[in-house]
Amino acid sequence: MFEKLIDNSMAKSPWIFHINAGSCNGCDIELVSVLTPRYDAERLGFKLTGTPRQADIVVVSGPITVQTRDRLVRTLAQVPEPRVVVSLGSCPRSGNVFKGSYAIDGPLEKYTHVDVSVGGCTPKPEAIMAALVQAAQILEEKRKEMRK
Amino acid sequence: MLPYLTKAVSNLFHKPSTEQFPAGDPPKAAEGYRGRLSYDPEKCVNCGMCIRVCAPQCMERTIEKLENGDQKITFTFDMTSCTFCSMCADFCARHAITLTDDYMIVGTKPEDFLVTGSFVKKAPPPKPKLTPEQIAEMKAKAEAAKKAKAEAAAKAAAAAADNG
Amino acid sequence: MNELLLNLFYVLVFPGLLFCILMGILLAGLDRVWVARMQRRVGPPLLQPWYDFLKCCGKETIVPRHAKKAVYFAAPVIGFVALMTISLFLPVVKGRAAFSGTADLVVILYLLTLVSVCMMVGASATGSPFAGVGLSREMVAMISYELPFVLVILAVSRATLSYDAGTGMPLTFSLQAIMEYQEANGPLITHWSLIPAAIAMLFVIPCEVGMHPFDVSEAETEICEGTLAEYSGPPLAVYKLTHMVKMYIMTALFCVLFLGGLTTGILFFDVVIFILVCALLTFITMSLPHAVCARFKTEQVFKFYWTVVAGLAAVSLILVWLGL
Repeated sequence: MFEKLIDNSMAKSPWIFHINAGSCNGCDIELVSVLTPRYDAERLGFKLTGTPRQADIVVVSGPITVQTRDRLVRTLAQVPEPRVVVSLGSCPRSGNVFKGSYAIDGPLEKYTHVDVSVGGCTPKPEAIMAALVQAAQILEEKRKEMRK
Repeated sequence: MLPYLTKAVSNLFHKPSTEQFPAGDPPKAAEGYRGRLSYDPEKCVNCGMCIRVCAPQCMERTIEKLENGDQKITFTFDMTSCTFCSMCADFCARHAITLTDDYMIVGTKPEDFLVTGSFVKKAPPPKPKLTPEQIAEMKAKAEAAKKAKAEAAAKAAAAAADNG
Repeated sequence: MNELLLNLFYVLVFPGLLFCILMGILLAGLDRVWVARMQRRVGPPLLQPWYDFLKCCGKETIVPRHAKKAVYFAAPVIGFVALMTISLFLPVVKGRAAFSGTADLVVILYLLTLVSVCMMVGASATGSPFAGVGLSREMVAMISYELPFVLVILAVSRATLSYDAGTGMPLTFSLQAIMEYQEANGPLITHWSLIPAAIAMLFVIPCEVGMHPFDVSEAETEICEGTLAEYSGPPLAVYKLTHMVKMYIMTALFCVLFLGGLTTGILFFDVVIFILVCALLTFITMSLPHAVCARFKTEQVFKFYWTVVAGLAAVSLILVWLGL
């Protein structure tokens, strides 16, 4: 019964950790605006944590620069299972306008499995909200799979 | 600190200013919002201008040769590579590319982010085979035309000399 | 046999484990909703802390390579048990605690310190530099609020001395005696010489709990959650639960020290009023500063508590000692 309670509360309290992998700061600002009174992701249980150890959803923004690559991989390894990776904006999936630069070592799929992606440069907060809600549902499914 | 305090307490008795979004339909984007691309292959003439102006190179064009000599041309726009700068739409002479106000570009698979369209470029009708007589006739015609032209030029030169 | 069952009931159900956890979740949920409403947000559901706790239970625990495993797991549990023990000494309703002694206030003071010390020990066992910064800040915060807290307790115990003169001590540290004194002479907050002490105690509560403007040790934006930086999974869940229950324990302690002795005669109404007063105290001491203030710097916290708050408590103590 306790396990079932945990399963049900998994999607209700997903904590977000945000990794900036060389982003231009546009997506970061939009992610923070999701937590503002206008969009208020906290009513769905979302909370921005300061450490990857406590995170459930990892939000990655920015093309993976060579400088951030190793840190990104290390940070992702510190997130306990079950975890969901969300790529924010166009950059992590493709490199966007930085595509082909010597300083870019993307895409994000090279390093981890990306569960949910949001397109847009930058995405609207509503789109980020929709992606986070979807990520929370994936989190619950992953938890159920992990238990089996 | 006191004004903040009074504001905070008075906010307790106000309605929250939060939007209802995840419940219900997403709100409409502002006018002129540049969202997901829409591509109309019927209007496209395959000039390739959009590919030239696209900074993040999010477009891919594949040309497939069909058996009867036609070409099947497919344009693929990757929405996770696009910067939504609208350059392709501005440069499209036939207005085949437009940016809609759909901002919900959310998905789990790469296919969710692709906008594709393809059209068939008809090959020109095959030219009729010419017989040697026809070729000789055409050559003679061309020769005659050349001669007439040269005569006209000489006449004009003479007239100019008279006037001078 | 009967007494054993009664004691088990005390420990596990009424002032003990179950009641504490329920109250902690209620107060923490109310706090989050109120803060959200004060910022004109909808806010999370009331049971959000409970969901957070359950979710943390279902997560994997990654023990850092440099951590001392035994301490890493033991510290949160010891802290939680110490906090639970405090609840048994609090005469919540009708002025009767589950266990009482002649010096339970000293025990409470000691156990409250133990909770913070456990947090520091756990943080130092993780071997993370962020946790190191966090634990040093926690230590400073502890020094800051401990002085006014002790002064408040001294003032209260001196004020109730006349009733408990038989022990031969210059002070009384028995909560039972304090409650009896309040039943006879009205709540201590009505004594004008103790009002500065009550205000000082209201300031001590948020820092002791580690709520927002005073949460220097868990500053998530500066030092990655500080003392909790390396915790994940069930140990983190226990820490979160400790944090919630501490909210209840501190508000209940205020009720006992300053608002005790009032009773309607019916146990049910007493409990309901007690819960309402706890919620009101949570609003005043934790939600309001959270919504209004930005986080203080460590030295600001120290300066504030050792000058303003300790000053208030000291004024009260001097007044009480002079017999006013």
